[in-house]
Amino acid sequence: MKIIVLIKQVLDPTGILVRRDKEKMFINREEYILGPDSKAALEAALRLKDAGGAEVVALSMGKPRAEDALREALAMGCDAACLVSDEALNQADIPMAASVLAAAVQKLGGADLIVAGRESGDTGAGQIGSRLAEALNYAQVTDVHVLTGEPGAVQATRRWGSGYATVQAMLPAVVTVAPEAFPARYAHGARIMNAYREWQVTTWNAADLGLDEAALKPLLAFRGESFPLPLPVGEQVKGAPASAAHEMITALKLQKVIG
Amino acid sequence: MDFSFPKEYQLFRRMVSDFAENEVRPLAKAVDREHRVPLETVKKAAALGLMGVPFPQKYGGMGGGEMGYCIMMEELGRVCTSTATVIGAHTGIAAMSIYLDGTEEQKQKFLVPLASGRLIGAFGLTEAQAGSDAAAIKTTAVRDGNHFVINGAKVFITNGDIAGIMTVMAVTDPSLGAYGGITAFIVETDTPGFSIGSLENKMGIRGSSTAECVFQDVRVPKENVLGQFGAGFLTFMKSLDIGRASLGAACLGGAQAALEGCMEWTMAREQFGVPVATKQSVYFMIADMAAEIEALRSMIYRTAWLIDTHQPHIKEAAICKLYGSEVASRCVHKAMQIHGALGYSRDYWVERAYRDARIAEIFEGTNEIQRVVLASNLFRPYGMRIPS
Amino acid sequence: MDLTLSEEQSMFKKMFADFCTKEIRPKGEHIDQAEEPPEDLLAKAVDQGFWAALVPEEAEGCGMDVYTFTLMLEELARADMSTALILSVHNCLVVKPLLLYGSDEQKKRYLEALALGEKLGAFALTEASAGSDAAAIKMTATRNGSDYVLKGSKNWVSNGSLAGLFLVFARAEGGITAFLVEPETAGVKVGYREKTLGLRGVPANTIYFDDVHIPEANRLGAEGKGMEIALKALSLSRLGLAAIALGATERSLEEAVQFSIEHIQFGGPIALKQIIQNYVADAKTQIEALRSLVLHTAWLADSGQDFGQEASIAKLFGSRVAYEVTNRMLQVHGGYGYMKDYAIERYYRDCRALEIIEGTSQIQQFLIARDIYKAQGLEIRP
Repeated sequence: MKIIVLIKQVLDPTGILVRRDKEKMFINREEYILGPDSKAALEAALRLKDAGGAEVVALSMGKPRAEDALREALAMGCDAACLVSDEALNQADIPMAASVLAAAVQKLGGADLIVAGRESGDTGAGQIGSRLAEALNYAQVTDVHVLTGEPGAVQATRRWGSGYATVQAMLPAVVTVAPEAFPARYAHGARIMNAYREWQVTTWNAADLGLDEAALKPLLAFRGESFPLPLPVGEQVKGAPASAAHEMITALKLQKVIG
Repeated sequence: MDFSFPKEYQLFRRMVSDFAENEVRPLAKAVDREHRVPLETVKKAAALGLMGVPFPQKYGGMGGGEMGYCIMMEELGRVCTSTATVIGAHTGIAAMSIYLDGTEEQKQKFLVPLASGRLIGAFGLTEAQAGSDAAAIKTTAVRDGNHFVINGAKVFITNGDIAGIMTVMAVTDPSLGAYGGITAFIVETDTPGFSIGSLENKMGIRGSSTAECVFQDVRVPKENVLGQFGAGFLTFMKSLDIGRASLGAACLGGAQAALEGCMEWTMAREQFGVPVATKQSVYFMIADMAAEIEALRSMIYRTAWLIDTHQPHIKEAAICKLYGSEVASRCVHKAMQIHGALGYSRDYWVERAYRDARIAEIFEGTNEIQRVVLASNLFRPYGMRIPS
Repeated sequence: MDLTLSEEQSMFKKMFADFCTKEIRPKGEHIDQAEEPPEDLLAKAVDQGFWAALVPEEAEGCGMDVYTFTLMLEELARADMSTALILSVHNCLVVKPLLLYGSDEQKKRYLEALALGEKLGAFALTEASAGSDAAAIKMTATRNGSDYVLKGSKNWVSNGSLAGLFLVFARAEGGITAFLVEPETAGVKVGYREKTLGLRGVPANTIYFDDVHIPEANRLGAEGKGMEIALKALSLSRLGLAAIALGATERSLEEAVQFSIEHIQFGGPIALKQIIQNYVADAKTQIEALRSLVLHTAWLADSGQDFGQEASIAKLFGSRVAYEVTNRMLQVHGGYGYMKDYAIERYYRDCRALEIIEGTSQIQQFLIARDIYKAQGLEIRP
């Protein structure tokens, strides 16, 4: 089975401080990471590789720094990695990203299975998987929690209302996975060393994919961001965790809420 | 001059840091309380190549060099000194001695299982009457045909009871003294005659075991002589010389953890109507901690670079251990002072850090011995010999 | 100026040393390992007068002067710090305030029981959000007819689970007020016992006061006098801790000197190494300096002078010396100092508490500086 995993390098959210009072986001530490959604996609693909043998290729569209995310994907166990990077793609919207990735998939010779995270860690749009499936005319299953392979198909258990439903998708297919269902493996130390010292990341620009000007014009423009309304708060016990916990327990005991 | 870590080391640090946070930290309190070695962690570490970080991949290691090893020890030291001790003794001195002085056959036979983590290693040097005075060991190894027969007892051996392979120093010729009369051996612990005596009840690093190892007519093949026959003292000293750098790295991690914990606490804890972080008595302590940690950090990684580029490093490694252990001790002392009574409570991380840090000034060569080593190396180029 | 001990003081000192060495010292390891409050030793200590140390002879007490009392704590600490602290808390933080501020009726009611070993005293001031900032306590004492109703909780109460009498501080209408509360009173609950690094023979508990009705007759001193009482008590107690530090450091030095003579490395006892000699000499110097401080502070107390600042100085210095000496003497022991078979391991952990309890070193620094600047007309705040 040939699997292509779509990954995205995102700004590490732990380096971001949200100040509701100032209605602003402050970036304390600008660090870019392989997003947890991407890691889950890699994990899902690598499990299929562990189970029945597969070739796993990591694919990403991003700035040159996204190469680090692809090397991390190699370290985690991918067989190859490919980056599509171009100045012209820096303002790409989601429809454009999907068509670029579709072109890259075709240049890679197509795949039996494409795996992506349910949504990215930054925009959270959750559209890439579906748009890609449409562009390539592949089957699609989204929000998958369990994924197993069989000859010519995959079995995917997906969220269905408040429960789950298991479906079979004939290959080729696009699957987006739920991050909580695929906690990512750690990369083996030797693979981490080799990811930078031995292996390479294939890099393509827009011209390599044969994309013309029309394909490189975004449809959507970013206007701005806003904060949701605040929720009401009960009585807050402040202080360091240990002493605040003690105070809260005391208060609850004195109110006879706990014994 | 580029002081940034190469990218593979940045990625490695992130991986080890995640591993430490998710797999090691949750057990830290328990292994201390229950006085047990987290073998499950060792197994997980082995699966990720973390039991052989400095060794080349052809020997089953990770190919991370001293740089990678110090990074791992720092990240482990940040969450659990016990775990860092178990892995550190295994990698930094036991397996390291085979890597530095073993023949190709010995590396294939003994380093590979150690580096891959299939077996755990221990370093059998210390005896009841031979601590700082390592040359005063009395364990003997007598030639008998194609074997050597080892008799004696070692004490204070980290991992002694869980090791599959132990490098052991023994007297092969009492008339020749330390240089010429002592030989290093590789001993497989399932050899008949090897047994464990008592396990020590320690103040801290209670998630690591410290064992008395007894050798009663333990027969090892002559192929198990490690390094030059009669030059065992040098073999062991070489390993200890390098091991000091990574021990300093573990101390760095512990000190860093103390600093971060103090900052978190002092921002949240209020007394006299304000966060205690705003009080000079408090933030001056934190500033002092940060200053020393930064100095130590530079020292550790520059020393790792010296080792990886095959440059002289004995003085620097001794400084890493000497300075690192004292920085860690000062930081945990301040951390406890900053946390007040809560710092004295076993329900919180501070007192465990306090107990765990204390051993660093003592083991792998007391800080007094580090000063002897440092002074010796400072005066040697001038022809001046410093006695111990 | 004659610094020699009087005949009576010498007699007391010998009696303390004999009892502590014979009865208490051998039990130190077990008290620590089993975390067992030394109840049997405390019972034996009654006959020695340890519970009645500061009670005047006229009231059936031992009538020790403060200096003799410090000798008592010194010998106790030399044998076992947990036992020493339990008795220091009892005498300094409960018996002494009762003697200074109690009405005749209160003294009649409680002094004998405290002196005869029937009731152990405990001091309940600290709360979760009021540690160094003791004045920020939240526990309330609401008037209800002629009674007070106490509501709140205290933590880190030394002697908590052993106590027969608590000296409790709560906020009444007139300000922070001191109360004498017996644990049997309805609504008093002895809670969680802290697990500590050291002093593992001293129980330190959270105590809950859930609508505890106590009569006005149990209020110690006037309403609003609570902080004055607490600070006065803590002054004596800080001197007590300095005396404990003295005993502990003497023991630690003794252990290290002995070890350095017996432990052979490099062809002779490690005592022959210059650096070991330096460590020992430095420790001795610090110990003697502390001894003089304790003596001087006790003399101020015994001559009726104000000794609060001196007690802070003695506590600040003593606790620092205790850390430095136990740390250094542990280093003399090498790897053995880290093993629980050796007393120094325990003393290192026990002594670390001294820089924290009864006002951290930082608080002592503040108190000392405040007095210095006050004398110059400048008021400083914590």
